[in-house]
Amino acid sequence: MARMALLVSPELCIGCRGCQSACKEWNGLPAVKTVNRGTFENPPDLTGADYNRIRFMEVPSAQDAQRWLFVSQRCMHCGDAACMKICPSSGALFRAKNGAVVFDKGKCIGCKLCGSACPYGLIRFDQANKVSKCHLCHDRTEAGLTPACVKTCPSGALKYGDRDKLAAEASAAGYSNLYGEADLGGTGVLYAFKDSPKVYGMLQNPAFPAEVHFWSGIKSLAYLGLGATVAASALHYLVIGPHKEEGEEVKKDE
Amino acid sequence: MSRMVKKAGAFEIVNHWMLAGSCLVLALSGFAFVFHLDGVAALFGGFPPMRAWHNISGVVFAVSLFLTVFSYLPVSLSFSADDMKWLSMGGGYLSRNKKELPPQDKLNTGQKLYYLVLLGMGAVMSASGFTIWLLGNKGLVLLSYFAHNLFFVFFMVAIPVHIYLGTFANPGTLRIMLSGKVPLDWARRRYGKWVSRMGLG
Ligand code: SF4
Ligand code: SF4
Ligand code: SF4
Repeated sequence: MARMALLVSPELCIGCRGCQSACKEWNGLPAVKTVNRGTFENPPDLTGADYNRIRFMEVPSAQDAQRWLFVSQRCMHCGDAACMKICPSSGALFRAKNGAVVFDKGKCIGCKLCGSACPYGLIRFDQANKVSKCHLCHDRTEAGLTPACVKTCPSGALKYGDRDKLAAEASAAGYSNLYGEADLGGTGVLYAFKDSPKVYGMLQNPAFPAEVHFWSGIKSLAYLGLGATVAASALHYLVIGPHKEEGEEVKKDE
Repeated sequence: MSRMVKKAGAFEIVNHWMLAGSCLVLALSGFAFVFHLDGVAALFGGFPPMRAWHNISGVVFAVSLFLTVFSYLPVSLSFSADDMKWLSMGGGYLSRNKKELPPQDKLNTGQKLYYLVLLGMGAVMSASGFTIWLLGNKGLVLLSYFAHNLFFVFFMVAIPVHIYLGTFANPGTLRIMLSGKVPLDWARRRYGKWVSRMGLG
């Protein structure tokens, strides 16, 4: 399957937050109690039960004195996913055929290392400390459907499709800035921006954590070190030999 | 057969095997975590239970490592001219020709140095392990993750060396960690300074 992507176009979003509800509905996620913070934005952050949310910003521009931005936020589904690389449990985070980074709670050990590795800080956990985040509706996409949020979106602000095609369409439609196109091996969630990502409150220059990158480059040293030491010990035993139990030889040398 | 003398007490021996046992569980599960070894994880009942084994063994490891301080730290910190001489002779490990080594204390020079290195490595391993387990600070967790892995490699070198030196390389040494008793003659040859300090003749 070609790599698929979710294209977010904040300029088209009307802020209905149907995507948030559809996500909860499809994934069977409980409501999370929040308080009125005097903003349209709710919930205030992603949680283990809020896989996506609309961030709301008021950023007046020269042409538009009352410019409202609604930016869908969720896991970026990185092409080079630090969360997958740091995860110590096999199969807890895996790559789906469409390119999405999917989780299997049954295999998650709840160590939360992925939470520290995600360059965007977008991983959340459930009550049992198991990884719990957007998986681009793995069960739906496997069955040939679009993610629930895309299905419900009335404005075209969320689109799901072939990654290259969506990117080409966005550029053709005049979006000068395709956020995520080249970051971290190319992300599976792309943002069609007309302004600098900073205006939309996006992370500038997300970077793969050096610690994770470096360790995965040298981790075979664990086998190598063990093997070499055992081999060196055996060699020492054969070539030089042990300290003898009897004292005779020692005396001869004196 | 000469008279047997007590080289190590029950506390020291039990603590050593707690350390060794926890180390084995930690290393085995560590390999499985680093390389996603499903077969090894299956021995523990899968990855989630293996995490519990790893963490609990980590506590046992940290506690017994700390307890070794009472048995070995003072002697490991006391260096003398004999230790320098022992080092210059490579502990007798570098040649087939076994020359007589300078008299040694409860631990020989190599054992003292090994102990100090192991104590340091174990401290880094414990501190980084508990940080990953219990702290939420991203920067600290990533740093600890790296240190934990790097020192895992160091341990994979240090442990086989220790096992080799305690068994094949020095026949008779393992008895110290089993019954704790060794023949006086043997002790005199290897730990002469200790034998006279203890007034064992
Ligand atoms: S469903 Fe579409 S239009 Fe509605 S808030 Fe979500 S992205 Fe915006
Ligand atoms: S955004 Fe974070 S959680 Fe999502 S794939 Fe990338 S590293 Fe993983
Ligand atoms: S919390 Fe779960 S998914 Fe995240 S790194 Fe640990 S085992 Fe992997």
